[in-house]
Amino acid sequence: MIPSFDEQELAKRELTARLSLIETMIAEGRQTTESWGWTFVLWGIAYYVAIAWATWGHSNFAWPVTMIAASLVTAFAASRMGGNQPETTIGRAIGAIWIGVGASLFILLLSASIAGRMDQQTFIAVVGGMLGAANAASSIILKWGAQFACALVWWATAVVACFSSANQSSIVFLVAIFLGQIVFGVYMMLSEARERRTHERKSGAAHA
Amino acid sequence: MPEPATDSAPEPTSELPDLNPVIHGKLRLALLSLLSSVEEAEFTWLRAKTNSTDGNLGAQLLKLEEAGYVEVEKKFVLRKPQTIYRMTQIGRQALTDYVQALKQLLGAAINA
Repeated sequence: MIPSFDEQELAKRELTARLSLIETMIAEGRQTTESWGWTFVLWGIAYYVAIAWATWGHSNFAWPVTMIAASLVTAFAASRMGGNQPETTIGRAIGAIWIGVGASLFILLLSASIAGRMDQQTFIAVVGGMLGAANAASSIILKWGAQFACALVWWATAVVACFSSANQSSIVFLVAIFLGQIVFGVYMMLSEARERRTHERKSGAAHA
Repeated sequence: MPEPATDSAPEPTSELPDLNPVIHGKLRLALLSLLSSVEEAEFTWLRAKTNSTDGNLGAQLLKLEEAGYVEVEKKFVLRKPQTIYRMTQIGRQALTDYVQALKQLLGAAINA
């Protein structure tokens, strides 16, 4: 039996709806609702705490203890917040960059400090260079210009630290932490909140 | 020189393909599409994305699992049970074939 025009139209609509469902769901899967802005703010505060402790407390433990504490807080909070988030290749790539850079910084700076081969300018240059690399790699993966600006701030800090006095490089470091961690972190949190609201409005359902 | 837009549409053939009935179910299709875009996903995330009930979602995922299109892993994270789903290579191929068949049928419907 040859289907009527109406039946053909209905079938066409049904097939188009299926194709549209596939596209929508793939886009939904790629849409991340993870929040990472708070980690930038947390680490910015951790750097300030470590600097204050090292400066006024004159303690050699200031940096390692603060960094280990910040790592533990980050790991714990991330596991609580992202409990049911799916694992994506992009998410793992970005996570790998930051874990790799964080571990490298910790091992290198701790070893150099214990060996007495690290002055203040070198310390700031290494931190600036490594954080610049991590931010640049993340921004390229995410195609996010704002984070690349963050990388430029850290690279500029690294360059200035190489050519300036200890006091000058310290001031530049404090400003870089404020711009690259606190300001960027707050901006990221606001962007994530806006994206979540937009996504909640757009989100569709797929009942059987 | 770029091909004309009409040439990119699938050519209608005399023998139209059948749509895979396991994938054709709306919720199962949504689940496979979601899983194709992530490496693995938790049951509660799939439930939120598809806005379905536990019972219905579990039943549809079981059908996909029985067909070999998804694999399941149960584990404990922070002492809470988690059920993780991953798309298999067979499932990925089946979804690709389904999309091809769908495009072929749509091409035939448009040209009818």
